[in-house]
Amino acid sequence: MVWQTVWNQIADLSLIAVLLRLMTPILLSALGGLISDIGGVINIGLEGLMLLSAFTSIAVGAGTGSWVLGVLAGVGVSVLVSYGMGFFSLKLKVDIIIAGFAVNIFGSGFTIFLMSKLYGLTGNYTPIGAPKIPVIDIPVLEGVPVLGPLLSGHSLMVWIALLSVVFCVILIYRTPYGVHLRSVGEAPYAAQSLGIPVKRVQYSALAWSGAFAGLAGAFLSNGLTNMFVKDMTAGTGFLALAVVLLGNRNPVGILIGSLIFGLASALSTIVQTVPDSPVPSQFIQMIPYVVTIAALVFFAWRNKRKFAATV
Amino acid sequence: MKTSKALYLEVGGIVAAVAAALVCGFIVILLTSSEPFAAIGSFLIDPLSNPFNIGTILNKAVPLILTGLSMSVVFQSGVFSMGAEGQLYVGAFVGSLAAVYLPGLNPWIHLPLVLVCAILGGALFAAIPGLMKAYLNANEIVTTLMLNFVAILTTSYLVNNPFKSPDGGGYARMELIGKDILLGKFIPGMPVHAGFLIALAAVAAVFVLMYKTPLGYELRLVGKNGQFARYGGIATRKIVVLTIMISGALAGLAGIVEILGIHQTYKDNFSAGLGFDGIIIALLARNHPIGVLISALLYAYIQVGAQTMQAGSDMPREVAVIIQVMLVLLVTAQAIFAYIRQRYAHSGTKAVK
Repeated sequence: MVWQTVWNQIADLSLIAVLLRLMTPILLSALGGLISDIGGVINIGLEGLMLLSAFTSIAVGAGTGSWVLGVLAGVGVSVLVSYGMGFFSLKLKVDIIIAGFAVNIFGSGFTIFLMSKLYGLTGNYTPIGAPKIPVIDIPVLEGVPVLGPLLSGHSLMVWIALLSVVFCVILIYRTPYGVHLRSVGEAPYAAQSLGIPVKRVQYSALAWSGAFAGLAGAFLSNGLTNMFVKDMTAGTGFLALAVVLLGNRNPVGILIGSLIFGLASALSTIVQTVPDSPVPSQFIQMIPYVVTIAALVFFAWRNKRKFAATV
Repeated sequence: MKTSKALYLEVGGIVAAVAAALVCGFIVILLTSSEPFAAIGSFLIDPLSNPFNIGTILNKAVPLILTGLSMSVVFQSGVFSMGAEGQLYVGAFVGSLAAVYLPGLNPWIHLPLVLVCAILGGALFAAIPGLMKAYLNANEIVTTLMLNFVAILTTSYLVNNPFKSPDGGGYARMELIGKDILLGKFIPGMPVHAGFLIALAAVAAVFVLMYKTPLGYELRLVGKNGQFARYGGIATRKIVVLTIMISGALAGLAGIVEILGIHQTYKDNFSAGLGFDGIIIALLARNHPIGVLISALLYAYIQVGAQTMQAGSDMPREVAVIIQVMLVLLVTAQAIFAYIRQRYAHSGTKAVK
């Protein structure tokens, strides 16, 4: 029954559409995590940033009737909070992990606070007629059998996410900024002695991670669902951190990792909706985490061997 | 060695940080509430206004003390585990199995057995990231975060399927645990349950472990300077694994005490972040067991205050989150504490010269 459904969805390519849709928030926030990680300021607050952006985006979107303003506001808030995180960690010397942890608590609690203060709601906020991030239908391709469902009919944010991979490759490996970023992350004192403004680069790395987490959050509320539910990220930010490591801190690796995780969450959605499934959905939901632990152990083991060989 | 003056400065700084965090919360209340003084009043005073609320504070503090101790032990050894949440679920689950499926035992044997099962469950689950950290140097922040999800999802599956009680009425929970091993109330007129005594005993045990035993000394040394400890002949890897296991044991104990004292049986998703609260408690306490006791009580007071404020005014209880976040950030801001030390410890050093 389940395999039948899965097979049908593979056959009519609707699984691809679902996969891309579910992959997008993971991919975007993982790219954010990647830039902060490369800059040596690992941002574990992605989850909180996404929640803040998701709420702002749908609230502003519904208020102004424009999804563009909504997304921009969401990204703006997320970047602002990332700067705040930078202030506490770089200026006041709070451990960056603790600062990220604080952002997660803040994002979860403050969005619930705002929802209750602004709209008097407790669980979820579903504005009527909130504009959605548009779906891109490609005129001619739409009717073509295989390419149509493969390329047409995806949300604009799916394309933004895929282009972001290219953007990150260029930013990290092909620009002077990328060289600075990598050197700051690798050896901050050496970078400083060469005159690279270490703190400024780290602030900007956090801002980038905020921007990408903001896009991911805005897509959750304004693209994927059209509502805000408390704690709607449900661990996506942590998955993103896992993807950064699974992808071996490389944008293309992260794309592949996000596809795997997107597939796991697409399958678990199918399993949850089909009655009497032989595989419990909890175990499919668990796949990304187990894969990540396995990958981490593998990388650690390989590093250890490499290290042993060079010494 | 810390002089008493340095200690006073540290404690003074923490108290000031707590006050500043509370002020931040009050500013938000002043800006957003139409009856700010009623809200602040019910936040500060109502939690202490009757024995019932005081008992509630103590009950809320119980799991916080235990998870706070759990985190303080790992932090002291320089391991940044975030796995208390998962270890708490595993411990609570294993303990509950022993509580539900071993009926007919004398409660004086049964209750300790249940606690030991929970402690072992938490410790063994914690050994996984411990071994990965010690022998493969796999980043413990990530492995513990991932294993939290594994633990929560696995226990959720088990309590939704094989161990689900048919008379749960839509809730995923186990069969009710026998009354004779539940942790009952021990002060008449106050809802505080006997888990509070267990938590106090744990504070004492961790204090002795950390400051009066060779293991505690080695553990703290590994945290202060791992390389020095290794050259000094300490088996750092073994210490790291042991530390995480002790932390897991305390987290497991927190889970089962919460089950036996409050929930009366294992319920799906019963914790809602107790393990993560433990991180805040340990940070506030600067990882000291006595500090953990005080900060857990303070944190529970803030939580109950937020609830009484929600009941007594127009403010939602999530305002407490602002206070919590500012607490975490201000108390851990090393730059502020370095400044305090420099500014106020100065007169002392001059006199020595």
